[in-house]
Amino acid sequence: MKMKIWIAAIAIGTTGVAAWAHSGATGVVLERMQGMSAMGKTLKTLSPMMRGQVPYDADLVRSEADAMVGHAGEQMTRLFPEDSGGGVSKALPSVWEESEEFAALAEELKTAAEGLKLSAGNGLTAAQSTDSGSMMGGTTDGMMGGGAASTMGGGMMGSDQPMTAEMFATMPADRAFAMVAQTCSVCHQKFRKEDK
Amino acid sequence: MRGWRWIIGAGVVGGIGVVAATIAWPIGTPVLNLTLEGDVQRGSYLARSSGCIACHTNFEGGAVPLAGGAPLKTDFGTFYPPNLTTDVEHGMGDWTVEDFAKAVRQGISPDGDPYYPTFTYPFYANFTDQDIADLWAAFQTVPAVNVPAPAHEVPFPFDQRWGMKLWRAAFLTTPDTAPEADRSDAWNRGKLLVNGAAHCSACHTTRNFAGARIVAERFSGNDALPGGGKAPSIRSRDLVSEGWTIDDMAYALRSGITPSGDVFGGSMAEVVRYGTGFLSDADLNAMATYLLDNKS
Repeated sequence: MKMKIWIAAIAIGTTGVAAWAHSGATGVVLERMQGMSAMGKTLKTLSPMMRGQVPYDADLVRSEADAMVGHAGEQMTRLFPEDSGGGVSKALPSVWEESEEFAALAEELKTAAEGLKLSAGNGLTAAQSTDSGSMMGGTTDGMMGGGAASTMGGGMMGSDQPMTAEMFATMPADRAFAMVAQTCSVCHQKFRKEDK
Repeated sequence: MRGWRWIIGAGVVGGIGVVAATIAWPIGTPVLNLTLEGDVQRGSYLARSSGCIACHTNFEGGAVPLAGGAPLKTDFGTFYPPNLTTDVEHGMGDWTVEDFAKAVRQGISPDGDPYYPTFTYPFYANFTDQDIADLWAAFQTVPAVNVPAPAHEVPFPFDQRWGMKLWRAAFLTTPDTAPEADRSDAWNRGKLLVNGAAHCSACHTTRNFAGARIVAERFSGNDALPGGGKAPSIRSRDLVSEGWTIDDMAYALRSGITPSGDVFGGSMAEVVRYGTGFLSDADLNAMATYLLDNKS
């Protein structure tokens, strides 16, 4: 009996702490905030590697990418049921008003993360010029370019050629990483409340 | 009984007189013949830095280059960034480079009307003649689009353009882009970009009742961006206390990824994707150098 009480107390305490860490969120709101934080942690872990600041570790890239896959696609959208916005949630109404686009971006994230995993063995773009404008497509494609990371014929929302994970397989890992971050960015731009 | 009617009558006539005078009040300085040869590559790069493409292209609605941008919803109405293509009817196809110079650096249309400050022209006031020539050359490469951008939806009295002349007299400031002798080249380049083309403080500064930036609160952030988002403080003291390094900032402007692994959302995501993500490492480093070490 005492053991059960202890277990219950710890479970409640942990959830309480988690909720406190995420402005009192509970249920799916808390779960999805934790999922987002976990993906942020992946970016934080991999960024220095992708920038050449710490030694490249393909296995770590794979495991982190895998973790991200687990938070993307339907694993993400299932945490956004109807009427779960408002309160402490940072989800904008557009999540439900434009649910198709939201779901498509969640899927793109999954594809990009799978692609990152496939590209892990390729290492980084050969370190050449100091001008790494290539990371986000820094060349000035005249006045036309659709986005700083419009590599390989687009692949982001609204462009004609959706990327498949296999297309990533020949890419340097830092390029694939940039495309993951790009997907995060497109979604946050439209679907997340910016109130910092 | 008669006396007050005279006073009201005089007031109305006087008021009409003031308005008429303001409408007639010529603004701006004439632009002399700009004969410099422009470089398209440099011009495109400057257009990216200045946000021309980001604002004047509706990426959500077809993304036709420079054919007109997504609406900006403000307290004064909804503004539609116009068509800047080479179209003669609905773009800049019938403009001269001198028209362009006056528009960009002074915020005055070829007809002599002041633009609304939703167009960030105050930041472009110190562009050199070469900058203008380069930009103009780049804009000549944009395919003509024979569709006008929608007209601004601005209610009375804000739709009275002559009112902008008063606004300019009260609030127009020139940007502080001059290099400082005791600073590094990178810092000075950063200052030029941040306070000029990149116009960071346009979003990152609180505005007053008239929609003008509050100079003393430069970089302190803005809770009321067009469309409803918020821009955080980017004052040096705040960036530093939050642990940002020059390297972090340059990387964030390149990729949208912050030191905590978050990715910029809202308007800043667009800034990176359509603007700063195109800049050179040296320039992003310069901007970061200035942002982390100016007097704000």
